[in-house]
Amino acid sequence: MSRWRYFIKRTLLAIPVLFLVMTLIFVILRMGPLDPVASLLGPEASGAQAEQIRENLGLNDPLWRQYIDFITGLLTLDLGQSWAVYSGRDVLDLVYIFAPRTIWLGFWAVLLPIFIGIPLGFYAGLNPNSWSDYIASFSGIVWLAMPNFWLGIMIIALLSQTQGGGFLGFDWYEFGPTTSSVLGTPPLDFVGVTDWTSLGMIAIPTGLFFDPGTLAVAIKVILPAALVLGSASMATELRIGRTAILETINSNYVETAKAKGLSGRVIIWKHVFRNALIPLVPIITNEALLLLGGSVIVEVVFAINGLGRLFYLAAVQGDLPLAGSLIFVFAVITISLNVLQDLLYTILDPRVGYEQ
Amino acid sequence: MVRNDSSSDERINRRRFLQAAGGSATAVALAGCFDSDDGEDGDGGNGGNGGNGDEENPARKAQNAWETIEENPDEDAEDIRNEAYVEIEEAVRDDMILLPLFHNLEERMWYDRVDVAETGPLGGHRQQHNDTTVEGSDELRMINSQMTTLDPIQSTDTASGAVINQMYENLVHYPNGETELENQLVEGVDVSDDLLTYTFTLTDAQFHNGEELTADDFVYAWRRLVESPDSQRANFAIGAGFLGIEHEVDEDEGVGAANVVPDSLAVEAIDDSTLEVTLANPDPAALDILAYDSFAAVPEGFVDDIEGYDGEVDQQEFSTGTAAGTGPFELDGWEPGTEARVTRFDDYHGEPAELESIHWQIIEDDNAIWTYVNEGNADLFEIPTPFYEPENVDAEADDTGREVGTYGPLENGETVNYLGVAELSTFYAAFNARHVPRPVRQAIAYVTDHDELIEIVFKERGETAFSFTPPGMWPGGEDAYQDFVDEWPYSPNETDRQAAQELLEDAGYSDDDPFEMTITTYDDEAFQDFAGLTRDKVADLPIDLSIEETEFGTLQNRGEDGDLEFYTLGWIWSWVDPSYGHFGFEPENTNTELIPEEADGYYLDWQTELDDE
Repeated sequence: MSRWRYFIKRTLLAIPVLFLVMTLIFVILRMGPLDPVASLLGPEASGAQAEQIRENLGLNDPLWRQYIDFITGLLTLDLGQSWAVYSGRDVLDLVYIFAPRTIWLGFWAVLLPIFIGIPLGFYAGLNPNSWSDYIASFSGIVWLAMPNFWLGIMIIALLSQTQGGGFLGFDWYEFGPTTSSVLGTPPLDFVGVTDWTSLGMIAIPTGLFFDPGTLAVAIKVILPAALVLGSASMATELRIGRTAILETINSNYVETAKAKGLSGRVIIWKHVFRNALIPLVPIITNEALLLLGGSVIVEVVFAINGLGRLFYLAAVQGDLPLAGSLIFVFAVITISLNVLQDLLYTILDPRVGYEQ
Repeated sequence: MVRNDSSSDERINRRRFLQAAGGSATAVALAGCFDSDDGEDGDGGNGGNGGNGDEENPARKAQNAWETIEENPDEDAEDIRNEAYVEIEEAVRDDMILLPLFHNLEERMWYDRVDVAETGPLGGHRQQHNDTTVEGSDELRMINSQMTTLDPIQSTDTASGAVINQMYENLVHYPNGETELENQLVEGVDVSDDLLTYTFTLTDAQFHNGEELTADDFVYAWRRLVESPDSQRANFAIGAGFLGIEHEVDEDEGVGAANVVPDSLAVEAIDDSTLEVTLANPDPAALDILAYDSFAAVPEGFVDDIEGYDGEVDQQEFSTGTAAGTGPFELDGWEPGTEARVTRFDDYHGEPAELESIHWQIIEDDNAIWTYVNEGNADLFEIPTPFYEPENVDAEADDTGREVGTYGPLENGETVNYLGVAELSTFYAAFNARHVPRPVRQAIAYVTDHDELIEIVFKERGETAFSFTPPGMWPGGEDAYQDFVDEWPYSPNETDRQAAQELLEDAGYSDDDPFEMTITTYDDEAFQDFAGLTRDKVADLPIDLSIEETEFGTLQNRGEDGDLEFYTLGWIWSWVDPSYGHFGFEPENTNTELIPEEADGYYLDWQTELDDE
């Protein structure tokens, strides 16, 4: 099998997986113990009211029709309206409001570890079994072991003590752009479109504005949360980076390069680093997936109202359209990232697809 | 306020009862057998609870009292009704069909810079901040939990209510959540002799969109409340037992509000400033119900969701991004899950607010709230339980029973003002009479120590409840309430295993043959703690108690099916009227064979004891 046929096969396989996911979502949410009507009405509910709401929500329709409506809704991106969490709001609107916050958090939570974890790992790998290696590796493991919710609370406690100049020697509130709280939703309106021009059917943005001040605030607000969310991956990257460097450094082609008389600098930059990065690529794409699921706790602790929190509320309150759509969105992202990973493998590694 | 046609009800009741008797025959027989035993016992052995000298059985007493209330809707019959409310409370207590546990304590703290009126038992979310000031700032900053909607007819949560209440107004209201009703958009009201027709004269007021308030706006707003598919409170307007405004129904249309014939609601605009409302049955609490958020004025034709109106905005926009009320503040914006802000409305019909704006940060996590408070970002707030220290409160009761004083220091070293008010809510444990005989119910009451429960479960932040009706609305006031509490027969605030043991032994239970039952709680820490405590306390008594936790919705469904023995639930009053809680005790209305379609009482099956003695 050629590797491109292999890739297409993998991509087509995603379709039944998607259907299976949609069916599972429906079964779990609709047939499960959650009752959206109860959460809508609260303890003062009367039976007649509950019945009316069931009728309005279409919960009295036959199951097969509800299932078909649900699936067609998802496939045509007609995600419906929230029932309980934000009664009457379009789910698509909600995703539009909440998703950028999670993406912003996720972006920094992936970026920070890359810039801290990988350099530290490479440094440790280049100086194996030295004291600095021990310190880096050991602190990496300790960092990995600290649970996110605890780490988040600790960081908030530390930073909020700095108000008016604390024992850390600086005031986080005044550090960089001034903020009034160590937590909250970052302002993401630092870029926007001011003008649209319509070209026949398509509208294209012609005017853009950009506010560096707001961007600075948005980055500052997200940093502590991103550090916490990325903490686990930071440690993983450190460990894998160290191993990858050690493996590469001891490989034959590095020996050959040494024998050819190349300078240490060229060997490391040209041969060692580039090859050591390869095993890290799938690690990073996988992390993006983990972050999506792991963001709930961090979003709650730091009062960032993102998709994680929204999904939690939707699930708890039995908001079938909202919870279902969010799982669907997560599933689509997961599946596409998997396809992307396959694509990267296909390009990077010529051995893919020749399994016999 | 006739709830049901009782004769036809009874007929259905009997028929259905016979059908279902097969399954639960043993339980019924048990209940019957031990009940007759206990009737003498309860009065003879415990002396205290026989004080009223009432010979009839408690269920019958409650049924009669409820009928008395229904037959006396006149304003001057208030004493008769009040007496009947107390009789229902006595019946509930003596029969121990329901054990009240606690009333929610609403606490609020504020920094010294804030000058804000104290709130009453209907809750701080009822407070309009017309007079509130913040030293050195034009904005009042608060914390809110998750809001669901801005549409008054759709809102059922206090978080939405707090914001809606700044923007929308009703005919009458409870200022600062106190229990005294006052005019808001009405100058006077005239009630007809048959107590069915209310004629309101409206004040001059302007909506945020510039239109003048007229009677037509109320007609429209209440039609929306009844006819809009998004309305969550249609039953408050047309339901029997609620306001019960006259209307026509078309049975073929479906259930609930969906079968109201459009524009058939008996609310009429006589002229621009005169509004006439006709009720189907007299209701002494009519004006109180009108103070509920959902009855707020909305400019005629503003929203598109009822027949005959195209609307300036669609309902979705109305519930999320546009508001048009007559309140002292108008909507500035609401970003779901993050924040909401309202700004002063300068053309307000009363004195415009002192504040420029009010801002709510939406935070639900306890740690995050605590951080936000200690950063000084909230002017007016509550302290999350994990961070609450009972010894930090320094407060004394004022003449209405509120605790007023200071709390502190906070983590940032500041001491803040403190107010604690018992809310009009009651959280309770109740029994299904069909499954649990009276001696067992009374034994549970004997071993329940209310004070201990408050201390263990709430860090002393709660009010012990000995009656279903909260003290803040007890008929006859604080002293009368105290008298009722003093007569509590089941060893108040101690764990009286001895009395419980005697009661159970007399009823024929022994360690070899204990009474088996299950307590069902929903996902609520307080109730789960109560269940755990109670199980430990009856461990050496002849009661074999098992604990079961379910989803809230499951608990409700099982209650409706009569499939609960011992369960926990709560009731929250939206207006000051004891009958808004007491209708659920009318024994015939507690028949789970008829709930939810034809009856809407609590899941007590109390009717099974109506003719025991």
